[in-house]
Amino acid sequence: MTATLALIRDTFREAFARRIFWGFFGCCTALLVFLVFILRIDVVEGALATVSIFGNRLPTTNVQNLVQQTQSVIAMVLYFAGMALSVFASAGLVAAMFEQGRIELLLSKPVSRAHLLLGRYAGNVLVVSANIFYLVAGSWAIFGMKTGIWGAGYLVSGLCTIFVFSVLLAVIVLVGVLWDSAAVAIMVTFAIMILTPILAQKATLERLLSSEWSRDIVRVLYYALPKISDISVIIRHLILNQPIQSWMPVWSTGLFGAAVLALGVWKFQRRSF
Amino acid sequence: MSEYAIETEGLTKVFRGAWSKRELLAVDNISLRVPAGTTYGLLGPNGAGKTTFVKMLLSCTHPTGGHARVFGRDTQDADSRRPIGYLPENHRFPTYMTGWGMLDFYSALSGIDTAVRRKRIPEMLELVGLDDRAHHLRLGKYSKGMLQRVGLAQALMHEPRLLILDEPSDGVDPVGRKQIRDVLQNLEQKGVTIFLNSHLLAEVELFCHEVAIIQRGKLALSGTVDDLTHGSGYRVESVNVPERLQTELRAASRAATSANGTLQLLYATREDANRAVDLLRAGHCEIEALARTKSTLEEVFMKTVEGDKA
Repeated sequence: MTATLALIRDTFREAFARRIFWGFFGCCTALLVFLVFILRIDVVEGALATVSIFGNRLPTTNVQNLVQQTQSVIAMVLYFAGMALSVFASAGLVAAMFEQGRIELLLSKPVSRAHLLLGRYAGNVLVVSANIFYLVAGSWAIFGMKTGIWGAGYLVSGLCTIFVFSVLLAVIVLVGVLWDSAAVAIMVTFAIMILTPILAQKATLERLLSSEWSRDIVRVLYYALPKISDISVIIRHLILNQPIQSWMPVWSTGLFGAAVLALGVWKFQRRSF
Repeated sequence: MSEYAIETEGLTKVFRGAWSKRELLAVDNISLRVPAGTTYGLLGPNGAGKTTFVKMLLSCTHPTGGHARVFGRDTQDADSRRPIGYLPENHRFPTYMTGWGMLDFYSALSGIDTAVRRKRIPEMLELVGLDDRAHHLRLGKYSKGMLQRVGLAQALMHEPRLLILDEPSDGVDPVGRKQIRDVLQNLEQKGVTIFLNSHLLAEVELFCHEVAIIQRGKLALSGTVDDLTHGSGYRVESVNVPERLQTELRAASRAATSANGTLQLLYATREDANRAVDLLRAGHCEIEALARTKSTLEEVFMKTVEGDKA
């Protein structure tokens, strides 16, 4: 436990030193300040009286709908833009661990390689989770206090974002173990992030493709790779209190992440430094 | 408990290219035993395989063949590293850490609990000569010598029974070197095994009891420093030796020098040295000195390395 805590604390310290943590924290705080001071929502006896941004009144609609739509926008920005930034920042944190002169000292300690790698992985997930939780829980509380609407779907969306980030981090870890390169890790992860929304249009692609083997490739890639786009739809449904058609994108993405992380640990254990 | 701190049997490492069939034999079938409580020096020219050998002891590099044990435990077992303190050569300590934070982190990985760490960190920093100002200074601001010192403190934090040091005095000033040597001598007296990998042959000769020389991945020579540098000849010194006698003495000597009226002669055998003494005494010359000469470790090293090349 001492070693695990030390690895997590070290990842936080490095994130602080690289200004990664504070960069995220600053962005999240700016958004929260915006919600507290700029967005004014006046509710009179459960009905929306006025909504104003920068003092300009906006057309009023149903209060719950407005809150859910706003939360949905924040969740999507966090999910795609926040995730891309997190990947960008985390790739350096993982690759730094494999630097020559640093890895030897880590490996000389009486800690298994799997423990070292998973400790770093957990620390990295926690760095990003802390900021996501800060933004989601903070904005959820602000909306709740301003409108009295405390829907849990928005909080669950934060967990989904952390979950997908942890899957992408597994890819970063595997690429880091294989090539020691933050740049390659970013490229591979971004390629997955770009490819999966295209694969999400599986039905359309299958119609457009002429040969069976190319349709098979699309199917294999769709089921094998994380379903980032499909999970974004699930997040929207959660926030808008709409029924979820299938949880398959979540569990298959989880399986992908677990497999990639296991492969990363296995390669790390076999590698000579 | 094993009587050997380090035992290797047929330890071999072949590096293979990921895509090509090219192979590099870095360590070739090395069997070595380092008794517990000794000071052991590992020598060899650049690229001889010393660092790869050390990395296999720490399981940073996996052997292709053979095996290694530390205090009887196979190095593949993470617990075999518990009694080891290690200072790598080209270390890259995280620059965002302070001296204090660095010792705290690495000793936590060694399993030391918080209370013990808090007590030992200032003691260790003081032991290696880092003052209070350095404790909370980021490592990025440390000089090379300070980094070596804090690296040594890191290696000592968990009271290791085996200390593996790769060029420990690299970048350290002469005062610091003496300080490090004193620390190591103190540890040696406490029974800590010290395994030193250094290019500074004089330092190894001064400090180590046993040495091994690795050349092209193979164990070229090993033994105690005394045995390896022992008895290579005899030195005779005399004053006011007449010219005629000098010529006779020089003829039988391996080397001779003359300065300020003192003649220094080197003989390969005891018989030659005794004959020279007899001649000098017969010629009524004063004997200034008579001693057995030793090779330096550098001479032994050069002979081994160049002999192998030939």
